[in-house]
Amino acid sequence: MSTAVISPLFRHPHRYGGGHRPTPKFHLNSRKARPFYLNYTQSSRLMFNGACSLSSRHFKPAKTLCLRASSTDIAVVETSESSDVFFRETFQLKRPEKVEGKITIRLESGKDAENWQLTVGCNLLGKWILHWGVNYIGDVGSEWDQPPPFMRPPGSVPIKDYAIETPLEKSLASEGESIYEVKVDFNTNSSIAAINFVLKDEETGSWYQHKGRDFKLPLIDYLQDDGNIVGPKKGLGIWPGSLGQISNTLLKPEAANSKEDIGELSFQKRGLQGFYEEQAVVKETLVDNSVSVSVRHCLETAKNLLYIETDLPGDVIVHWGICKDEGKTWEIPSKPYPPETSIFKDKALRTLLQRKDGGHGSLGSFILDEGFVVFVFVLKLNENTWLNCHGNDFYIPLSSFSDPAIHSGQTHSEDEGQHKESSPLGISGNASEENQEVSAYTDDIINEIRSLVTDISSEKSRKTKSKKAQESILQEIEKLAAEAYSIFRSSIPTFIETDLAKDEALEPPVKISSGTGSGFEILCQGFNWESHKSGKWYMELHEKASKLASLGFTVIWLPPPTDSVSPEGYMPRDLFNLNSRYGNIDELKALVKEFHKVGIRVLGDVVLNHRCAQSKNQNGIWNIFGGRLNWDDRAVVADDPHFQGRGNKSSGDNFHAAPNIDHSQEFVRRDIKEWLQWLREEIGYDGWRLDFVRGFWGGYVKDYLEATEPHFAVGEYWDSLSYTYGEMDHNQDAHRQRIIDWINATNGTAGAFDVTTKGILHSALERCEYWRLSDEKGKPPGVVGWWPSRAVTFIENHDTGSTQGHWRFPGGKEIQGYAYILTHPGTPSVFHDHIFSKYQSEISTLLSIRNRNKINCRSTVKIVKAERDVYAAMIDEKLAMKIGPGHYDPSNGSRNWSLAAEGRDYKVWEAS
Amino acid sequence: MEISLIGNSQVNLGRAIDVGFCNFSKNLNSKIFNVKNNSKTCNFVQSQSLEWKSKSVCGFTLTASATAHTEAAVISERGSRNSRTKPTNGVKLYVGLPLDAVSGCNAVNHTRAIAAGLKALKLLGVDGVELPVWWGIAEKEESGKYDWTGYLVLAEMVQKLGLKLHVSLCFHASKDAKIPLPDWVSRIGESQPDIYFTDRSGQRFKDCLSLAVDDLPVLDGKTPIDAYTEFCESFKASFSPFIGSTITGISIGLGPDGELRYPSHHHPSKKNGLRGAGEFQCYDKYMLENLKQYAETYGNPLWGLGGPHDAPGYDQSPMSSSFFSEHGGSWEMPYGDFFLSWYSSQLISHGDRILSVAASTFEDTKIIVSGKVPLMHSWYRTRSHPSEITAGFYNTANRDGYEAIAEIFSRNSCKIILPGMDLSEDEPNESRSSPELLLAQIASSCGKHSVQISGENSIVSGTPRGFEQIKKNLVDQNVVDLFTYQRMGAYFFSPEHFPLYTKFIWSLNQANLHSDDLRTEEEETAVSLAEIQRLMESAFVVGHWGLHSTE
Repeated sequence: MSTAVISPLFRHPHRYGGGHRPTPKFHLNSRKARPFYLNYTQSSRLMFNGACSLSSRHFKPAKTLCLRASSTDIAVVETSESSDVFFRETFQLKRPEKVEGKITIRLESGKDAENWQLTVGCNLLGKWILHWGVNYIGDVGSEWDQPPPFMRPPGSVPIKDYAIETPLEKSLASEGESIYEVKVDFNTNSSIAAINFVLKDEETGSWYQHKGRDFKLPLIDYLQDDGNIVGPKKGLGIWPGSLGQISNTLLKPEAANSKEDIGELSFQKRGLQGFYEEQAVVKETLVDNSVSVSVRHCLETAKNLLYIETDLPGDVIVHWGICKDEGKTWEIPSKPYPPETSIFKDKALRTLLQRKDGGHGSLGSFILDEGFVVFVFVLKLNENTWLNCHGNDFYIPLSSFSDPAIHSGQTHSEDEGQHKESSPLGISGNASEENQEVSAYTDDIINEIRSLVTDISSEKSRKTKSKKAQESILQEIEKLAAEAYSIFRSSIPTFIETDLAKDEALEPPVKISSGTGSGFEILCQGFNWESHKSGKWYMELHEKASKLASLGFTVIWLPPPTDSVSPEGYMPRDLFNLNSRYGNIDELKALVKEFHKVGIRVLGDVVLNHRCAQSKNQNGIWNIFGGRLNWDDRAVVADDPHFQGRGNKSSGDNFHAAPNIDHSQEFVRRDIKEWLQWLREEIGYDGWRLDFVRGFWGGYVKDYLEATEPHFAVGEYWDSLSYTYGEMDHNQDAHRQRIIDWINATNGTAGAFDVTTKGILHSALERCEYWRLSDEKGKPPGVVGWWPSRAVTFIENHDTGSTQGHWRFPGGKEIQGYAYILTHPGTPSVFHDHIFSKYQSEISTLLSIRNRNKINCRSTVKIVKAERDVYAAMIDEKLAMKIGPGHYDPSNGSRNWSLAAEGRDYKVWEAS
Repeated sequence: MEISLIGNSQVNLGRAIDVGFCNFSKNLNSKIFNVKNNSKTCNFVQSQSLEWKSKSVCGFTLTASATAHTEAAVISERGSRNSRTKPTNGVKLYVGLPLDAVSGCNAVNHTRAIAAGLKALKLLGVDGVELPVWWGIAEKEESGKYDWTGYLVLAEMVQKLGLKLHVSLCFHASKDAKIPLPDWVSRIGESQPDIYFTDRSGQRFKDCLSLAVDDLPVLDGKTPIDAYTEFCESFKASFSPFIGSTITGISIGLGPDGELRYPSHHHPSKKNGLRGAGEFQCYDKYMLENLKQYAETYGNPLWGLGGPHDAPGYDQSPMSSSFFSEHGGSWEMPYGDFFLSWYSSQLISHGDRILSVAASTFEDTKIIVSGKVPLMHSWYRTRSHPSEITAGFYNTANRDGYEAIAEIFSRNSCKIILPGMDLSEDEPNESRSSPELLLAQIASSCGKHSVQISGENSIVSGTPRGFEQIKKNLVDQNVVDLFTYQRMGAYFFSPEHFPLYTKFIWSLNQANLHSDDLRTEEEETAVSLAEIQRLMESAFVVGHWGLHSTE
């Protein structure tokens, strides 16, 4: 008997958290029948799990072993009398469970007015760590610093040179429940401007942030408030930050947003006020359960008897089938079936396990004819949670007579392969605690270099030994380089203190991230609402490819490619059928190839929120899907009564015209990932435009993007701006915050259309209210003002404009709009209809100005004027621009400006 | 039976540290199953609350073996035996250390990073490193008071690893690295701004001294040449233990960024080449006096009143005004020839003066002295070569300006360092530049005068293309015998860049392996295996040390 671990915890420490937890547990099965069974004992707390972290299905009865801790030092070998049991295995299960709790933040004065104490607590079980740092008065930027030693509570550990981690101590709260707390004492006379912190649960590796950013406790008055300040006057919103893990923060500092926009501080002391706040927090934990399976062969009846027993609480349904051979095709055996069994879509059986008498757990038995090779199953819990084995079904061999190698088949041979490799052994005292940055780095490039060595070596047919040795040298080199890299990088701030703008020679390398592409992308929306009408849009676009490239576009967004109920493609049906009104799959492939040839990347428009069904269920509701992804009502969210979905509640808003997909279901996500990967490979799409992302949680988008590694991705998060008495509010922070929140939920892996900017441009241009184009802090008022690198600015698309005109840009002012978005940071998107119109030459000029001056999504913008009739700004000190009828002339500074573009109510100048 | 150890970054070192490992595995064998018999791959699950009783034993063993091998690491400095490092054509490979490797207060910056980096380079088979030694740091406080401590520490680190060292003596300031001129020089500059290069509009270039004051006692009675000479002498005395062994070459600063040129551009060049031509820098008091004298001697005093009136501004297109016009521009007229002859000859005599200082100082050592010549490749494809001209190289369609340059290097037995080995023709080319043609021209002048060339790259772009170009220059063109890659730092070791560099080095070494294999394959293999073994030992020490310091 051996024990299998279900979750691959060890291989992906950061997926489940930084901590390495001892998951393998050794379950003693006290049932009578016991095959060849070895009791290994060990006095220390050594835990050992057979071959199972590598192979979860190790079905060799004669050799399987079980360890358990006991106080003796003698190994006991037992043989069982009942030799008819030929398979027994206990599988560990990880059941997700949500626990609600609260985070408390308390600030109170200490022994006198200068000494204060900050208490951060949490009432959820966990290994809580306060990850914190301070800003000193006079610090420029928002980088953290380490607090002075006297502020650090006992047990604090410095993290690099910018933060401290202090564990929370367990203490008793008044109601008798336990609470974890940490207290930080500080003195207002110290030169500390703010305390920043996030909470981390070491057990799960989750980070708990505040509105997706650090908690910030200002000790002096800030001129700027980035919305993440905690204190008496502000509301709090807590983000369960399982999205922003440290590895990400360390690896891609630019993907973590929180440090972009903090401006200057005033040095006025703040009259501190004590306060106490509580925030709800939800922690998802994995609860350990197990399921044991044993198979016994009954000689008299020539049948196999299979027992399943589990300690999972509540109703447990076994969703099962039978395989006749090693192929993984599920079949349904002939009757009789166990009680409480139903047939599911002619493919599987569903049996409700019987509750055990004690109330804890359930069990069931299955009588099976001889001749079947494998019993396959997954477990379904009532709340629509599915449990499986390492992402695969559980496979239980049903024959004791066949060669055991068949059962453990693949796994077994893998093991042997590893034995043969005979790589020299290494040991390392505490390597697992080495910082993730290094190991992730190493993983990344070690392979590349390794393959390189292999190339070189094989070319020269060198001796294997020498090859191996070279490889280990390369690994050493890698490790050293990674170390050097991490130290050099962390010391950069002292190296380049001031303006980076000057040393262009040191221009940072272009980093591709799906949220930003290269940072220099310019999008073209390559269709309008009518494009489907000709039936050969792909071919028409084919002709335009080189023109678009010459205009300076780097990315094109193509219409939704799938089979769809509506001709425009936004009511997708069979996702794997790519023949649409725009053309067939071959024309699409040819088009993508053409764009690649001219150097333009291609975004696929993917509709993930909803999908149209192909048949009705027994109640006559359209919720049974067709095609390759033949989902049923389990894939539909439960909270839209029109479609009677049996999935979970929607994680976002509902789109009422079609069944909304339940992305919380693992099989749905797996299928979607597979589909997206297929689109990447088969069609050659480089990235995605994600339709209606309001409909589901951004965390799922992150999952999809990480699985498909696009060059660029942008989501459509379109909701209404704020209006008071029909007039648009000047402050649209709430609107942009919602978009930012979504981007945050994707962990910055996707950008989002800057609907806020479009809305504000509408008012500003239409009503001649150009003052709207600066927010209260003198920044652009849209998403682009807060998170420019993730903002995809646009003025029109197929919905807002074209023949639909849901929210058309003020007529005749389009070029002013483009003069704004094409000179500003963010990634601009230009609408097809505008490119192929009388505006083409003006747009072309603006595009070339942008490219020539290397304006990118992170360019800096300085608003010079935001008055009634004119808005003017300087971008990267390379461009000056104005829109509006009012007057502006940049030429009073030290720089020479030459007029680069001019038209109705706009001008753009370049620094010469 | 398998046990896995996650996070192990030292896999595969088992062979090199037999002692340590055997202890450990025996330890386990006695307690667990017969690990060795079943599987040669033995991994151990390590987790926080999983406490190995044997963990402390393991830690102890590691430490012990590490100590035991420390000596081996030091001994393995004789790395020159490592035949992997020499490509067939014998191009030596160097990497520049960070510009700010030594801080203003003479401490070594990011020591640990440099230490790890040096070891990585050593294992990679790089021959040596280049170390910028700054006037503004070593002689910071007052004239004649030198402090070499930081640099000596670095030299020792380099020596211990068996790498070679090329020292660049920098008499300029660096904006990038925030390294100024010596404080005492800057103070003098406050009161006498004419010691700096000056442009037409009176702007001073404060990153190095004007070449016109070379022989004038402007530094509290000393001439800059005196100061440079004494600096070299002090360096030579302080580094005598390293000179000729670890330190194999020095380059002497000749002007802005150490290069022999006028600071015709006040701002660092744009990535894709210079857009404008730059401006003439002949407007400090001493340059103007000099020009006046020259004009009088020449017999046309009116020409000595100032620089060309029709030259374009820094970032203006050179074709926007008449001086550089392709046809009938002033540069082709007698005035132009008069001015440019003078302007360029000033630069040449300056170069000659400084090179001879260095050459005579290091005459009695094995050190090779080099000087850096810039690759002013913008506008090379025009007739007037504006970028070269404003920088002081009178090289046009009608005249070869590099013969005279090569001659002074030859006269002083110095090597030329040429940047731009990574630049190729079809870079974005608004300014009609041609790095490759210019490189070829300079190389041919050097060839005529038997001047050797060391190469450098201009941009740490980390594109495969840049490396291809370097390789082409190094292997195919065979113009250089030493190549210094600029420069170590965070980006250099980043996952975007370092693999490319590694690949580049391996591809250079590959050629070498071929020829070696042809000779004595058996022996070669044996030797390199032994070599590898030793390197691994030293690597292990490094790794062990690194592990603890990252805690």
